[in-house]
Amino acid sequence: MARYIVRRLMTMLLSMLLISIIVFAVVEIAPGNVARNILGAFATPEQERSMENQLGLDRPAITRYFSWLFGSDWQVSRLIGMPVREIVISQGTQQNYRQWWAVDEDGSLVQWDVVDGQLIKLVRQENGSTLPVPDEAGWKVDEEGRTYFWGLDNLNHAALWFQGEGGAEYTYGYSGWTQSTDSPVDYVPLSRGLLRGDAGISLRYKRPVSEVIGRKMFNSAVLAGLAFLVSIPTAIVLGVIAGLNEGKPIDRIISMGGLVTAASPDFATGIFLIIILGLWLKVLPGATVFLSDTAIFDDPRMLVMPVLTASLVEIGYVLRITRASVVEVMNSAYVRTAILKGLSHRKVVLSHVLRNAMMAPITVIMLHINWLIGGLVVVESVFGYPGMGNFILNAALYKDIYSIEAGAMVLIVLAVSTQLVADIIYSYLNPRIRYT
Amino acid sequence: MTEQEQPILSVKNLAVTYKTRKRDVNAVRDVTFDIYAGENVGLVGESGCGKSTAAYSIVGFLGRNGRVSNGEILFRGENLANRPESDLRKLRGADISMVYQEPMSALNPTMLIKDQLAESLIVHQNMDKKAAYEKSLESLKSVYMPDPEGVMDRYPHQLSGGQQQRVLIAMALLNNPSLLIMDEPTTALDVTVEAAVLDLIAELKERYNTATLYITHNLGVVARVSDRLAVMYAGEIVELASTKDLYAKPLHPYTMGLMRCLPDVDAPKGTRTLHPIDGRVPSPDNLPEGCIFSPRCEFARENCFTEHPKLDEVVPGHQARCFYAKEWLEKGVRWDDRMEEPERVCPERPAETDEIMLTIKDARVYYPVPFKTVRGLFGLEKRKYVRAVDDVSFTIKRGRTLGVVGESGCGKSTIAKAIVGLEALHDGKIDFLETDISSPINKRGSQTIRDLQMVFQDPNGVLNPSYSIGDQIALSLRRFNTVPRDQEYDEVVRLLRAVKLGENYYHRLPRQLSGGEKQRVGIARAIASNPAAVICDEPVSALDVSVQAAVLNLLLEIQKQQNTTMILISHDLSSVRFFSDDVAVMYLGRLCEIGPCESIYSSPSHPYTAALLAAVPRPDPTLEQTGVRLHGRVPSAVNPPSGCRFNTRCPFKIGEICEKEEPPRQDMGGGHLIYCHLPPQELNKL
Amino acid sequence: MAEQTLTLKNLRIAARARQMARLRESLTVVFASKTAIVGLVMVLLWVLVAVFAPLVTKFGPLEQDYLMINQGPSGAHILGTDHMGRDVWSRIAFGARTILTLGPLSVMVAFVVGITLGLPSGYYGGWIDETVMRILDAIMAFPTILLYMIIISAVGASPFNVVVAIAIGGAPGIARLVRALAMDIRTREYVAAAKLRGDKDIQIMLREILPNCRGPLIVDFLLRIGYAAFYIGTLGFLGLGLPPPTPDWGGMVQEGHSRMFANVWPVLSATLSIVTLVIGLNLFADGLREETMRYQ
Repeated sequence: MARYIVRRLMTMLLSMLLISIIVFAVVEIAPGNVARNILGAFATPEQERSMENQLGLDRPAITRYFSWLFGSDWQVSRLIGMPVREIVISQGTQQNYRQWWAVDEDGSLVQWDVVDGQLIKLVRQENGSTLPVPDEAGWKVDEEGRTYFWGLDNLNHAALWFQGEGGAEYTYGYSGWTQSTDSPVDYVPLSRGLLRGDAGISLRYKRPVSEVIGRKMFNSAVLAGLAFLVSIPTAIVLGVIAGLNEGKPIDRIISMGGLVTAASPDFATGIFLIIILGLWLKVLPGATVFLSDTAIFDDPRMLVMPVLTASLVEIGYVLRITRASVVEVMNSAYVRTAILKGLSHRKVVLSHVLRNAMMAPITVIMLHINWLIGGLVVVESVFGYPGMGNFILNAALYKDIYSIEAGAMVLIVLAVSTQLVADIIYSYLNPRIRYT
Repeated sequence: MTEQEQPILSVKNLAVTYKTRKRDVNAVRDVTFDIYAGENVGLVGESGCGKSTAAYSIVGFLGRNGRVSNGEILFRGENLANRPESDLRKLRGADISMVYQEPMSALNPTMLIKDQLAESLIVHQNMDKKAAYEKSLESLKSVYMPDPEGVMDRYPHQLSGGQQQRVLIAMALLNNPSLLIMDEPTTALDVTVEAAVLDLIAELKERYNTATLYITHNLGVVARVSDRLAVMYAGEIVELASTKDLYAKPLHPYTMGLMRCLPDVDAPKGTRTLHPIDGRVPSPDNLPEGCIFSPRCEFARENCFTEHPKLDEVVPGHQARCFYAKEWLEKGVRWDDRMEEPERVCPERPAETDEIMLTIKDARVYYPVPFKTVRGLFGLEKRKYVRAVDDVSFTIKRGRTLGVVGESGCGKSTIAKAIVGLEALHDGKIDFLETDISSPINKRGSQTIRDLQMVFQDPNGVLNPSYSIGDQIALSLRRFNTVPRDQEYDEVVRLLRAVKLGENYYHRLPRQLSGGEKQRVGIARAIASNPAAVICDEPVSALDVSVQAAVLNLLLEIQKQQNTTMILISHDLSSVRFFSDDVAVMYLGRLCEIGPCESIYSSPSHPYTAALLAAVPRPDPTLEQTGVRLHGRVPSAVNPPSGCRFNTRCPFKIGEICEKEEPPRQDMGGGHLIYCHLPPQELNKL
Repeated sequence: MAEQTLTLKNLRIAARARQMARLRESLTVVFASKTAIVGLVMVLLWVLVAVFAPLVTKFGPLEQDYLMINQGPSGAHILGTDHMGRDVWSRIAFGARTILTLGPLSVMVAFVVGITLGLPSGYYGGWIDETVMRILDAIMAFPTILLYMIIISAVGASPFNVVVAIAIGGAPGIARLVRALAMDIRTREYVAAAKLRGDKDIQIMLREILPNCRGPLIVDFLLRIGYAAFYIGTLGFLGLGLPPPTPDWGGMVQEGHSRMFANVWPVLSATLSIVTLVIGLNLFADGLREETMRYQ
């Protein structure tokens, strides 16, 4: 059993690795016009190139993949020859703001800037301000005889300056474009990497993705959890009823209802619910507007329709699986044995049918979790619900690549780990697997 | 048994009807029989004869679309037909209990054995859990279950097939039933396991006074266990008599036919012919007029095709559904008599040559076992193998037939596949007509492929369901360039005729054919390339007895005409004896014994061969069927026992030497080789 | 010689007869199931609408009439007009063309890809199977909608890209099905028999295995057209479908969604259209599956 779980964990890790490659490849290898998306249609090609440089998008895909997954700090500290450290500062309007600093030999935190061709070391003081110290000795000379310096700028990049060379004309910072003749020629954006909880800076929100995503995940979890609690018991009960009454009118009604709800796209179900409950019957507010990320608890009535929509599709699917499984078990030889042992129908169902019949649905429900997640995207979109689905959808529409990647990875980790849980539950229920 | 005694079960004019979409189908008609206490009545017939339907109607388990449409089922005088579930429930598992054909699927896979057993007691006798446990354990002991306490705490999949069947029998006996229904209880078991279970059933009959209804298709089995027999054909009982009478003088042509087509394990090759019954069992929704057997009956007269005979008592205690039963009795027609002497299919042996066709030397076929451990995944563990065939050597001369026998898992099919190249050899060498053919089929030359063909086991898998019969045979012709393209059609028809099928089969699809017909097409395809050797892998084991005989005859005829060398892989020792010149006995991937049929069958020498032969159920109730019985289960081929592989089950084990040393090859003369530690004089005594 | 041609002709006639018999048989299977018939009728209605779209509508699907925006149903506009004054019914009718071409097309592409991957995987097993399955597992771990969103956002929304996305999403499932069938069928004895006449692996896969997968594959094909319609609609709704102003049901729902309280007709009609089509396809596939199971 333990071996089995370890084995499953290993294949899961392998899958996740593959998945991360796929996600990265699809999102980033053809990033197309990410820069243009941020800069708007009127940016010049130079500005676009500079933007890509600053985002690190001009680096080779393999390097980017590793930076994305494992971070770039170790790579940067090799470049600049000093360890780097990320600190979190909360100051005024900037709460939990993350900054990268290099650690000087004396332990002080430093960044650099080049002003009028002068290399200046910015040493961080206790109060958070910086003390500029000229650092002309920092310049190095490369094989071609050019004078250069690799250091950290104040926008969380490792930056490469050439003495006397202008480099990029524009730097895109918090206050928009700044023009300078001393700006760096090459950048490596710093990050701890996805595996260490740093998913990069959202291009849309200009904030770390991991910060934005937290609340959305919570909201989605509430929606999914409620939908799960509503749908699974209902579906299993209905499925068992239908399966035990195979071929009778009640079975036909339930099965047909299951087919209809399972086959209707989530958005259609949502729209029907809005039209029926909101527009015609007026029992629920038709237009649900969630003004903020925390609005979902303001009016519980607003949750009803999203939860109902997410549940209905799931109910249809799970009940059909449950029904099929119950029918199959009811026709099995061991249920025949149980019946011919003289057990009552109730006893046959309770002690012989249910456990065996639940094995298929449990795996299916868990495997179906990514269907449910897909459904959430749609449901959240129908109701403007501030969750992961909407977040990823907007990221996709905006080409906010780090948000898409992070969102996708979170959802997939969730889907894959529920599958693992499903496998474990299944192997527990099925002694044939448990004892091998 | 006295006549006044009331039968436990009395079935009168029973008819069972299934509702199908088109119409109602009478699967069972006019079935009448009694069973008295302590009596075992066998219900015999080929598949589709309605014997299981008749049995399940007794416990009222006919599915949603089935019902008893006529007649009575009197159980201790009470009519059970169409009774409500609640009444039947009290009887099921208590007064009437059942044992099933597939023990594995008849047990709940997710429930411990002890719970499955105790349940029955708790429901019917209101026992508490502890008492029920004790009683269940006792019951397991009474069926001689090894390690009963351990078995109680196991799940069904952790038991062997024989143990599972013992659990089911124990379960059936828990509430001391007055009627026990056994539905093919040994069909799914290996022959040595079957023998042990049959011993148990016979003993239980002596011990308890239970009435038993025993359903089977195997005439050998019922000869051992049943007191009286009812032969069913197409939903009707055609003959009913005491077992002795029935075997001594069968009075219905169907019964005679059945007995004539059984190969006899005690009759050497060439001394007997098999006499198949032509045609096939009609389906219940398309019954012939008159006597239902008339289309297949070689004695049928005019009125047989128009009038339906009744089941008449011909002599006291012997009923037959035939107009002319009395005549057969008076004329003394015996079942081994024939209307006319059929063409002798036994080959007049072509001149023996000493040319060696096939030599197998130290062949091993191993399958890698998938890694189950984490270490294994990283390649840190030694690869394990299933040693399906381990160090097997033998030769076959041209024109002879070698039978390879053994129980499932002994490696007999694997060696066949290795010879034709469907399995790769792990080690060893195969020479065919002085060519090395150790490589698998995709590396063999087309001449070799053409010369070595195979006949397969499963009639339903042997033909591609997507193409017509003719196309499939034609494809082989084309591939081997046997005939010019424009003669293809004629050649296919010639081949179809050679396997006794007509030209009209050319355009049929496989699913329009019966099992026997499909198997013939498979044979036609195999001989399309005019092969020098044909390997037959269980060619008849999935067929009904009446059809088996026809296929065996056909194979013999082909061998006679073309002097084909054959290898017959089979678990059925009777058909091997009927068919083969030499026989090889395999156990757990190893050869135990090989030699001419005569010397092996007449005086089996290896302890395993002796046990196998003793286990064969003989269709003769007068024989005392006992002998060497095997216990325990076949060890795993991944980790076979050291020394002699048979040592864990061998009743004649000498001692340590059997566990430590490989058995030596002992030449008994005349090509008879035995792999055993027992000295030759001991072996001869067996 | 004359005899020769006669035989050949007979062969051909017989082959034709066999095909007809098979066709009749499959029709019997379809018509034996009420579920399948209901589904078929629903689907056929939409097929007719799509084929005869210009004949059953009075307006072009892109024709705007700014004097007639957000109208309810009337004699001229049987389902009213949308916010740009376009006739809802003609957008529905022409939208049927979109979904009924893209759906089957994407499923066909998915089948080609799925069969190409699944057949060798199931037939050979071993490391080929292991590799293919790991990759497919990874793709299947994606919630389908998420996969589509990522792909479409990377390559942009166009009919071609929608087909590609849905094919990528569907291929792993098909490959798994084909693999499972192939693993089963490769153990059949007729496959061994084919090897024994020296057939090459590719011949065995295409000639012995693939044709015998057709039953489950046909049912799966129909089911997947249903899914494809489901997802094309969903993508349209999410704004990742066909670029406007293409008449596309999902897109219509998306456009009308925010204006629903002013004019429910565009949204309601488009939603109902998708639902009836998808349910029709599902009923048809389901009925067919049950009937073939019973038939066997």
